[in-house]
Amino acid sequence: MKNKIITILILLSLFIPVAAFTLTGEEIIRRADNIQIFETSEASGEFQIKDRFGVKVSTFNSWSRGTNESLIEFTSRAERGQKVLRTEDELYLFYPDAEELIRMQGSMLRQSMLGSDISYEDMTGGKDRISQYDVILEGEESFKGNDCYVLIMTAKVRTVPYPKEKLWIDKETFLVWKAEYYTKSDRLLKEMETLDTKIINGRTIAVETRIVDKMKTDTETIMFMSDIKINIPIDDAMFSLEELSW
Amino acid sequence: MKFLISLAFKNLTRYKRRTLITAGAIAFGLMMYIFVDSLLLGIEIESVRNLKWFETASARILNDDYWENRFQRPLDINIPNPDKIINKLEDNGITATKRIEFSGDLILNSADFGEDGNMSVVVTAIDPKRDFDVFEFGTTLQKGRFLEKNEDAAIIGSWFAEDIGAELGYWITIVTRGNGGFYEAMDLEIVGIVNCPNPNVNRTLIMMPIDVADEYLAMEGASTEISIKLPESADVEEEVIHIQNLLNGDGLTVMSWKSMAADYLAIAEAKRGGTGMILFLIFLIAAVGISNTMLMAIFERIRELGMMRSLGMSDKKIRIAFMLEAAGIGLIGSIMGVFLGIIVNFFVVKYGINYGDMYRDMDIGYRVQAIIRGAWNFKTMGIAFFAGIFMSTLVAFFPTKRALKMDIPSCLRHQ
Repeated sequence: MKNKIITILILLSLFIPVAAFTLTGEEIIRRADNIQIFETSEASGEFQIKDRFGVKVSTFNSWSRGTNESLIEFTSRAERGQKVLRTEDELYLFYPDAEELIRMQGSMLRQSMLGSDISYEDMTGGKDRISQYDVILEGEESFKGNDCYVLIMTAKVRTVPYPKEKLWIDKETFLVWKAEYYTKSDRLLKEMETLDTKIINGRTIAVETRIVDKMKTDTETIMFMSDIKINIPIDDAMFSLEELSW
Repeated sequence: MKFLISLAFKNLTRYKRRTLITAGAIAFGLMMYIFVDSLLLGIEIESVRNLKWFETASARILNDDYWENRFQRPLDINIPNPDKIINKLEDNGITATKRIEFSGDLILNSADFGEDGNMSVVVTAIDPKRDFDVFEFGTTLQKGRFLEKNEDAAIIGSWFAEDIGAELGYWITIVTRGNGGFYEAMDLEIVGIVNCPNPNVNRTLIMMPIDVADEYLAMEGASTEISIKLPESADVEEEVIHIQNLLNGDGLTVMSWKSMAADYLAIAEAKRGGTGMILFLIFLIAAVGISNTMLMAIFERIRELGMMRSLGMSDKKIRIAFMLEAAGIGLIGSIMGVFLGIIVNFFVVKYGINYGDMYRDMDIGYRVQAIIRGAWNFKTMGIAFFAGIFMSTLVAFFPTKRALKMDIPSCLRHQ
């Protein structure tokens, strides 16, 4: 009898380390979110918007603070001075030529930004997904030679744009290599893929990303990020309406 | 006076051709005036009717906060239990139907449409059983059939179908945001094409069954509006107050078509100023025509006038005789003008004028499609009749006065 108990304990002890180090879906998402959230950040970027008419390039500078505040200012000639500001609850668009400030709401948020495959909401959306989605760890897969967790996120609330997301998250760096965004009725709406990464302050960050609107054909948007600086001092006024129209 | 009337009458019959030509010119001017007035009035009446029949209904129940956010077409600002309200209205003899209106992107695929594309659209989800009790789409079907409950199907306007190259059996995809904000995409088969007389609707219309929209958009039985049909004779504003009282608050507002179409009515009011100007110009043209022919008629008779004076007839009597003659011409012209106006108007009212594709891609503000029909306006006919007589008489006064200032030999030598 004593031997039996010892055998069972030994067998159980073999499983303990595995259980202790296996991450839950939520934990994986939390870590993936954490590598994207900075106290503050500043970067320059470029959109390459491809459609059947050719390729259009737009450049921008961006600043962010925490999860819900961000500012994008376009610097390319055609859009120079256009700004998109996301505050805690609102999204604003500023057109310098018209000197007009527009509060984006409802269907306006769904509109494509500069004709790209990215909506205004995608670009500036909050990053705290845990509170909004149920996460299921579906399995593990290798994506482009990177070992990834495959997760399915199903929205708990109706206020998120994508009711279902499928993610391929790097097991080591927690970088999202690929994401698929679905409608409530399981139609694939958009696909995102990380094409290139860079390690900044010990975090692996996507610096080249392809986004494809699956509802359109022959279109894709590639976003390049450069000059990324994180946790730098940013003036509070940066995310104010006064600054937006200045 | 009897002599003067008799003289005027004799003169009219003596110069039959001149009388007829002058009266004909007056008649043509008045006929044009009646015709244009009829068309402008007809456009206004038909426009308002098409607005009510295909856009606003007589009145609409909305969530208190909906109207100020209407351009966003929010699904979360809704009427939670529309069926209960519709039943309540029915108990009070009021016909109503629920609708969900939402915006989205229409995705066209190359398999059906030849090339891929997308555009912003507004979709109206209707109750196929009740909607035609309130709106008048029942007679507008051009191809296919109407919607049935619980089918992933759509009906579109014929102009819209032409614009996107749609045919029956083609599939369209609508990508939209459901109640709360989530993305949703729905594939709908085009089962019917309607030719709606309201161009604003015909140019953009997409309708789908409300139960399907409810499921996709997670509306849980809610609707964005309840549209109400009231009898033509009803005092809409009074009925609106009555329905508002029936609703007993409930966070709902009843709006009459006039409140909903305030922008249109303001534009129509401004246009009315413009149409008044058009009518004035038509009237002016008619008046100038009348004046001209009367001037000619008086001037060519200055010798006759000189002879009458040399025979001892007083200037006053001559003036009265000439004005009576002018009034007679005016009377004949007015009778002819109103008669011609009635004949032309009959065809304009009954058959209308088809200006075809002239305004196909133009928004002229009025909710009138290809055929403009006139309307009977007896007040205008009365005005035209009396104006014809008055104008003729008035314009005869000045040349007669001028002729009477000439000495008798000059009158007699006048060529």
